[in-house]
Amino acid sequence: MTQAIILQKELEIFEQHRKEWSRIHPGLYVAIQDETVLEGFFETYTEALRAGLQRFGAGRSFLVKQIWTTEPVYFVS
Amino acid sequence: MARTELMWDPFNQTDPGPLIEVVVMNSQDVMEAGRTLGLEYPGPIKMKALLDTGASVTVISKVFANHCKLFQTSEGTEITAIGATHHCGEHAGSISFPGTNLRQIESIRIVSAVFARERHYACLIGRDILRNWVITFDGRAKKVTIVD
Repeated sequence: MTQAIILQKELEIFEQHRKEWSRIHPGLYVAIQDETVLEGFFETYTEALRAGLQRFGAGRSFLVKQIWTTEPVYFVS
Repeated sequence: MARTELMWDPFNQTDPGPLIEVVVMNSQDVMEAGRTLGLEYPGPIKMKALLDTGASVTVISKVFANHCKLFQTSEGTEITAIGATHHCGEHAGSISFPGTNLRQIESIRIVSAVFARERHYACLIGRDILRNWVITFDGRAKKVTIVD
């Protein structure tokens, strides 16, 4: 049995738009729930989170993601 | 100006590093929105956190992230540690520092990862938080001072 990935649908929507968004809004944040992309792009994670909570509420997770051409890998040493 | 001091003996090989007590919980924004829906959130839980200049982001043990019911905002984030890559969740949380007057960090992104066999701490305070502070280490006194 395959395990459902949390926010899988939202990550797919993000991937569909990544190229376009990274050209126009690199480094900004976007919020997505199901197939709904929150209007506007945000300077900070906190701004995107607050806007997402206003629009989607806290009943279910929504995606908050920074827009980059390629996904960064974070280092912990 | 807030200021706190920690003891750290880097010459003792069993000392895991400069540790500070933290409380990680959902951000006020998330809890306010959730309570309007009747959702309940666990009370604050204290844990030890390592001040980690080698961590580019703040990381919490997945066990604690689940226990605290941290609001999840992404999945599949990659972090590398000693050559191994880990796929992690991302959450919105707040971090406070009980017993100090350091400012609470509100509504920040916290990455959750499996802390395999780590018994000293459940959180890494990364450079996204450290950048807010002036930190000095006095090697003779084995003392770390944080000024906010």
